[in-house]
Amino acid sequence: MVLGVFSLSSCIKEEPMNAECDIESVSVHVDNPISIFHHEYDTLKVVGSASDRIVFLIRSQENVSQLPLTLNLTSGATAFIKDANGNFSEFKNGSLVDFSQEREQVFRVLSEDKNWNRTYSIVFEHEIPAEGDFTLGFEDYTLDATGKYYEWQVLDAKVANVFTDGKWKNGNPGYKLCKSSAKPMEYPSVPVVDGGPDGSSCVKLETKDTGSFGSMVNMRLASGSMFNGIFDVSNALKDALKATRFGSPFTHKPEKMTVWLKYEPGAVFQDRMGKPMEGIIDEPDAYVVFYRNQDESGNEVMIDGNDMFTNPHIVGLGRLPHNLNEDGSDKLCDTPIHGLSSTWKLVDIPVVYQKEVDPEILANKGYSLAISFASSWQGGYFQGAIGSKLFLDNVSLYCEKDEQ
Amino acid sequence: MTNKMKYILAVVALLSATIMQAQDSWEKWGPTRGMKGAGVLVRAGYTIGGTTPLPLPEEIRSINAFSPKGGATIGVDVYKMFCKRWGASMGWHFFYEGFHTSADVKNYKMSLTMDGNTMSGYFTGTDITNTDMWGMTIPILATFRISPRWNLSFGPYFSTYFKKNFSGEVYDNEKGVGYLRVNDPTGEKVNIDRNNPATYDFSDNMFQWNAGMEVGFDWKACKHMNVFAKLDWGMTNIWEPDFDAVAFRMYPIYATIGLAYRY
Repeated sequence: MVLGVFSLSSCIKEEPMNAECDIESVSVHVDNPISIFHHEYDTLKVVGSASDRIVFLIRSQENVSQLPLTLNLTSGATAFIKDANGNFSEFKNGSLVDFSQEREQVFRVLSEDKNWNRTYSIVFEHEIPAEGDFTLGFEDYTLDATGKYYEWQVLDAKVANVFTDGKWKNGNPGYKLCKSSAKPMEYPSVPVVDGGPDGSSCVKLETKDTGSFGSMVNMRLASGSMFNGIFDVSNALKDALKATRFGSPFTHKPEKMTVWLKYEPGAVFQDRMGKPMEGIIDEPDAYVVFYRNQDESGNEVMIDGNDMFTNPHIVGLGRLPHNLNEDGSDKLCDTPIHGLSSTWKLVDIPVVYQKEVDPEILANKGYSLAISFASSWQGGYFQGAIGSKLFLDNVSLYCEKDEQ
Repeated sequence: MTNKMKYILAVVALLSATIMQAQDSWEKWGPTRGMKGAGVLVRAGYTIGGTTPLPLPEEIRSINAFSPKGGATIGVDVYKMFCKRWGASMGWHFFYEGFHTSADVKNYKMSLTMDGNTMSGYFTGTDITNTDMWGMTIPILATFRISPRWNLSFGPYFSTYFKKNFSGEVYDNEKGVGYLRVNDPTGEKVNIDRNNPATYDFSDNMFQWNAGMEVGFDWKACKHMNVFAKLDWGMTNIWEPDFDAVAFRMYPIYATIGLAYRY
């Protein structure tokens, strides 16, 4: 009888076939990558589990009519390519695909168990160079594909390339996992209609309680955030700091950022375990970082929540003032020096350079620009005060004029 | 006499001795008063087993660890014999039983609801479970005397729990694979690793009652002492009827060995 219980493990059934059907990454093989792309690493795109449109940004439209394409799929899955007549035929890795004239090629991936499929599109977009100076007003927002939370697009084609997928990123997709019942206006990053200093829409970032699911993974609060780059929701639970990746290639040298801000700290500052910490007042964060986006071996560099102020590839940095310890770490205290209040203020954040910017590298997209805002400056460590609110509007970037 | 003859004689002698003993033992090992008497048994035993889906669903890829926590049963049975071989008994047992398990799963459908928020999808990785149950069982059994010293009993039992626990955590397996696909296998992939596992607690979703079949053997070791072994095989799902976080029904299957005092 007892043996019967122990021999359960001998009743393991045959392994079920895979149900997933992802394109995990896409790569193209070209002899001289730099003739088409800005970086060698741009020939490979790792595809996030939630994305279904894969965009390669290229220098020129020449030589992309016959690209040997390789799709890395979930094990056992099969890919099909859609032809001009709308028929799908099986796609073999290494086949030549015509990406000329920004043609969007459609692929369908069928899982090994044949029960699931996903449709992707792949496009090679000719990059429109971003202009140096820009102002963004947070006027263009819509609900995401699932209708759960708001997203902000950057529609101006001359600035859109500074934003991966042409969108501002924030922690809303992660909040959705924890709070499935939240209404769109209950998310950490929400629009405020007519709330801006100029009477147009602005953004409210609010530090929110993540509920029981959040405490299940020791992430009891979510700071409202807004940045350019990638929020890798797949790794948000595993390593939240690393999942928040800042910046996009930018061909101008930023001098300063200005932004309209107002701030109301939440009542009780709490640590990661949710325990109140007496005598600490929550603070917002706003910063602009300029960094070299390729290391000595040619690998891509992207700063993330761990090293956005300390990565050795950083060349310039501007940040809202804070009380910091001598070693540069954040000092939690009751005397914030950010200078914000609950009335609108135009804040000037100059970029201070620690290293020279090489004009040649700059012109070839060798530097990335990151801009980021948060309602709790320690929110990456899940510390802050629930209810802290940072309102922001009209982010402007000013760049050096004579570089080209 | 050949060796063969000697051997046969010896066997016959032994057999007749056994039969002789058996014949007068029906009285000796019977109930305390006559063949149709009634009596009381006080039992104490060591319980081990587990709570498991049956058969194992294909989503369970391997069982890395399965360690029953030592459980215990104490209780009383009253019995009544109707004739030489047949009787009935009814008991009142208190028990503690539990187990710990670690299993690798693939596309294991799960759904968690807390405070009105739901997280559901398909999990691939390692699932650790701890179960504990404190409760009371009432077995209602037919008893059959196979021989003077051997009793077989079988019949339904009904259990209720005083305290129950079914909790655990999920994280990546030894290959570093641990993720949830949100809603369905094409949904967002959320990686979960052992440094920050996701914990769950379904204790409150366990059904208050359980019923199943019990089969037991008693051996009368001496005048007042039985050695017994029994198996309680749960036939009703351990989950509340509307609970769907675990996609399959699970059944408690626990065995007990112990000693009983016969009055």
